Amino acid sequence: MHVVIVGNGAAALSALESFRGHDRDSRVTLVSGEQGPAYSRVLLPYYLRRRLSRDGLFIRRADDYARLGAATEFGVRAEGVDPARRVLELADGRRLGFDRLLIATGSSPMRPPIPGLDGAGVHTLWTLDDAVRLDSVFREGARLVVLGSGFVALQAAWAARQRGLQVSVIELLDQILPRVLDPAAAQILSERLHACDVEVRTGTRAESVETDRGGRVRVSTSGGDRLPADAVIVATGARPNDQLLPECLEPDRPGIPVADTMETVVSGVYAAGDVTRGPTARGGPREIHALWPTAVEQGRVAGANLAGAGRSYGGSLSMNVTEMFDLTVASLGQFVEDEGDDVFEEHDRGGIRYMKIVTRAGVPLGAIAMGAPEGAVLLGRLRPFVRHRRALPDLPAFLAREDLDGRLAHRSAAKERTSCASLQ
Amino acid sequence: MRIVAVDPDACVACRDCEYACAFRQSGDFARSASHIRVNFYADERACVPLTCMHCEDAWCLAVCPAAAIDRDPGTGAVTIDATRCAGCKMCLLACPYGNIHFNAETGVSAKCDLCGGDPMCVRACISGALRYVDAEELADLRREVVDASLKRLLRLSKGVR
Amino acid sequence: MQTGPEIRHSLCRMCDDRCGIDVHLEDGRIVDILGNKEHPWNRGRLCVKARAAVDMIYHPDRVLTPLKRTADGWEQIPLDQALDEIAGRLADVRDRYGARSIGVWKGEAIGFGQQETVARRFAHALGSPNYLSNDSMCYVGRYMGFTLVDGAWPIPDLENARCIVLWGANPPYAHPNMTQYITAARRKGATLVVVDPRMSAIARRADIHAQVRPGTDGALAWGLVRQFVEMDAYDKDFVEDHTIGFAKVVDYARTFTPEMVEAETGLPAATVKAMARMMADAAPRMAAYVGNGLEHHENGVGNIRAIAMIDGLLGALDREGGTLFKEPAPLRDLTLYDEMPLRHLSPLGTDRFPVLYDMRQECHTMTAMEAILSDEPYPLRALVMTGANPASTNPNSPKVLEALRSLDLLVVRDLFMTETTAVADYVLPAASFLERTELHAHAKHQIVSLTDKVVSWSDVQGEYDFWHDLAVRLGIGEYFPWEDETALNRWLLEPTGLSLETLEAHREGVEYSPPRVGRRRQAGFDTPSGKVEFASAYLKDLGYDELPVYHRPAYRREPDAARPFVLMTGARKLLYLHSRFRNIPRFRTAIPGPEVEMHPDDAAALGVADGDTIRLTSPIGAVDLPVKVVAENEILPGNLQVTHGWREANVNLVTHDDRFDPVSGFPLMKSIEVSVQKV
Repeated sequence: MHVVIVGNGAAALSALESFRGHDRDSRVTLVSGEQGPAYSRVLLPYYLRRRLSRDGLFIRRADDYARLGAATEFGVRAEGVDPARRVLELADGRRLGFDRLLIATGSSPMRPPIPGLDGAGVHTLWTLDDAVRLDSVFREGARLVVLGSGFVALQAAWAARQRGLQVSVIELLDQILPRVLDPAAAQILSERLHACDVEVRTGTRAESVETDRGGRVRVSTSGGDRLPADAVIVATGARPNDQLLPECLEPDRPGIPVADTMETVVSGVYAAGDVTRGPTARGGPREIHALWPTAVEQGRVAGANLAGAGRSYGGSLSMNVTEMFDLTVASLGQFVEDEGDDVFEEHDRGGIRYMKIVTRAGVPLGAIAMGAPEGAVLLGRLRPFVRHRRALPDLPAFLAREDLDGRLAHRSAAKERTSCASLQ
Repeated sequence: MRIVAVDPDACVACRDCEYACAFRQSGDFARSASHIRVNFYADERACVPLTCMHCEDAWCLAVCPAAAIDRDPGTGAVTIDATRCAGCKMCLLACPYGNIHFNAETGVSAKCDLCGGDPMCVRACISGALRYVDAEELADLRREVVDASLKRLLRLSKGVR
Repeated sequence: MQTGPEIRHSLCRMCDDRCGIDVHLEDGRIVDILGNKEHPWNRGRLCVKARAAVDMIYHPDRVLTPLKRTADGWEQIPLDQALDEIAGRLADVRDRYGARSIGVWKGEAIGFGQQETVARRFAHALGSPNYLSNDSMCYVGRYMGFTLVDGAWPIPDLENARCIVLWGANPPYAHPNMTQYITAARRKGATLVVVDPRMSAIARRADIHAQVRPGTDGALAWGLVRQFVEMDAYDKDFVEDHTIGFAKVVDYARTFTPEMVEAETGLPAATVKAMARMMADAAPRMAAYVGNGLEHHENGVGNIRAIAMIDGLLGALDREGGTLFKEPAPLRDLTLYDEMPLRHLSPLGTDRFPVLYDMRQECHTMTAMEAILSDEPYPLRALVMTGANPASTNPNSPKVLEALRSLDLLVVRDLFMTETTAVADYVLPAASFLERTELHAHAKHQIVSLTDKVVSWSDVQGEYDFWHDLAVRLGIGEYFPWEDETALNRWLLEPTGLSLETLEAHREGVEYSPPRVGRRRQAGFDTPSGKVEFASAYLKDLGYDELPVYHRPAYRREPDAARPFVLMTGARKLLYLHSRFRNIPRFRTAIPGPEVEMHPDDAAALGVADGDTIRLTSPIGAVDLPVKVVAENEILPGNLQVTHGWREANVNLVTHDDRFDPVSGFPLMKSIEVSVQKV
């Protein structure tokens, strides 16, 4: 049997390892449009923040693929699939026969319909090349405008601020991090951004971007301002790289739909990671969850099933965590009030500035924690209840039982360190 | 492999293990630095030591976006390479037992590494609630605890008849 | 061959459990201390106090040179000069007031064994009967209670018991590795009863936590005795063959019905019955251990004697799984009580507490304070102490300070400056347990071991060297003929037939004789009658109760409306031992400061919360402390607990040096009537 995996990210790597857990013998080829070995896309802002070196971004060594018995085709884009002949068409004209195929091609940054985004001063932060380019743009005193306020946008803003840039964030919606935080949490983070001299403009549309001959940029906003900048980062979301096998797609809906087995409608062709529209832990319609943990989970199931293990995926659970401006920001599942029948909210529990847990019939549906890292630990403890829809009748008692007080008290007593302070 | 087996039926929540671990991690006795923690619930008189179980299928290891978590070939411990950890905290959210902590000073996640095969928590456990044993012995230990509990229950019920 | 860092084996003396330790050295400096897996007591496990010995030994505040008080403060002087001057001043006091005006005081911090006996030897060689120690406040109350009944304080065979009863004892904090043995028994199905007004660490694992009012343990013990008689559950053969006074016991126990016990102790009658059945069911494999919690009451020895009777009634004495009589190590005795008895010189406290001197040759430290201040019955003008800090640990600290200050000479040997060195004339550096070599006997395992001298400082003397050098200067050098502590160790060890070299090769200890069970049943008990004495003619002759009659604590007998709270002091904390170790920064990280434990109902009634300061006032004095509100079942309403030894909030400002147990002379420190005000 010949298994072909297209992609070299979280889903692809997870699938490869999972497949080898079931099948040591079959031939495997891994195809990636980027030069390998794999690096971690989600860590690119850490590189810009100088938290990681360029080498630190690589999560596999070249010999890891050989160790896992996979031939690699790096730097070669896959152009299409002939499902009838079971052939993968490569950009260099080669055709790769397969018995089973995994599409783990990930996603790409969305380009909103704003005139001027093709200018030289406009960047994305998606690939290693992007990050290396931005690294040279991040000069102390330079001005940066970030379009969007998701994780990538704000982490880029934080990195820029730490490196002494002047930063403005423009968000179309009324709050920052609209898909990760509720308005209250977003407010806390906004205040921290303000305190760190990051200009945040919510409810604002970027109308156009002009790049002059000297490479300087001006961003015109719906408020009528023209913001001069040395660079613009567009970080308004991502769309799946789902064009490899159009036969799999539903009309006018992005993302390759997959069954619980991660198999597409084409027999023997699987998909995993950002490219898929998959089952979710809470049931209901399939969704795109372009998140690292989801990609790892889906890759595991897909990898096992490529080997015929007959695994079924329990569905993805939205799970976000990061640090921004020295605040740990974590969210889990569904944290919007109207999805539940009860909301538990707590402010300033030790170092945890804000915590919110939405429940329905005693079952936690989702949660947000901001502040000390212990918030993420608490959410981790909640995760099995959310995923398996287990009731937690006495939530305050559960939280009290999580004897974090020693840690939290210690943390809150410690001098609060902020990125702005570190600039002084 | 050997793991730190935990017996809440023997634990008295003295916190020797927490201090021993904190000392190994930080040179000080701040409980917050310990990778093992003992929750004490006065109402139930319950003492629950919690430490990494070095899961066979470790989700923290699989999910780490920096590939900083690996299994130590010698001890079988799931360990964090502090030089690779970016501090993203995904593992904190991934561990369903709350057994990974974030070290604010160093900005990296930290967890039990079995002290390289001689866990200090066990050396400091004066009740014997913690034992460093072969994973295969676990079933026997559990049976021992259950048998003892039953015996005690029997003796207690004689007491209150 | 040892590679890498050097490891030396010795015993830990951060408390008196003396666990086996592996001392890790790098370039001659201790870098870590771990449990010795070969040691039969701790089996490699070790509480974290032991590892902090590294902090203690290299602490920047160590006293490493002799200090002399001058008008301008402390002056560092050479050791020889210090010894010369001290000897000269002691000679002056001896010449002026007689030898008995000089007292020798051994503290807990220096240990027992030969540190104690060499100090006793010095006092007698000098001609003074006044050997004083921490033992007029610790251990001896229990030693007496059991020895009066059983002829010895037998050791509970915890790991083989079917039922363990702990009275006022919290092994996880006080005898950490004893907890292992309790666990071992529980893993075989043994039940555990913990009698304690507080939910201590070990009470968390108890099948029955008998939360009695402070000082009412005797009522519970008598209640149990009554139940055993009612249930016909006592060991008739043992009682018949090996005890005296049983009929009187039956008669006196009659009124201690479960209902009466409930009324007195607060423990439900049903629990009293359940406890009795559990103990009787397990007998003779019933092992009891009594802690320091019972000693500091006005009825301490009586309560302990009542508890001690239970072992005999249930036939648990000298039985596997019950209590065991160990043979002491046949080491030579350094004391001179046989060669040179000095009782005729009226050792301080003997008049009032004759049993204390009869059984332990201990003078009474509280009486000694009176003597210093009043010159009655005769002057006590000079004290030489090692590892003692009575200004913190004795009751009524202000009076202790006043007394010590008024001495003609106070010499204190210690590792650190303390509340007591503050009023000393000379402070000499004392050797820590890793800075001397000495013999230790572990009765439980009947082993003797030799500790290793791992660290040396130029001016820091071990106990033997100090007393020797002082004796030579005072013209009593003939009593200290051994060249050094090793020569002394060799002499002490000789009767065992073991060599120092054998002990050096086996630091975990060597058995001096195999433990035997049943010896006492055959040969008789070591009491005046040779029997287990439920009734003591010896005590009766001295004017005490023949039976361990139950005396109600004063706060029960005559409640004081002005002082409605009952204060217990001295509950051990995990990391501290009496007044020691407060200067170890890591310990302060873990347990930062003093606090008064309080029931939530009392906190609500007083309108105080965690961290609020309250003032406790007794007839002796007052102390301010922050409140710690504990869980509802961790302390009884109306009770408070404060651990002693905190310089910043010394609870001995309120403890009694004027109310004692009549037999042991132990002060009232665990059922003190106090008033509480919010500050």
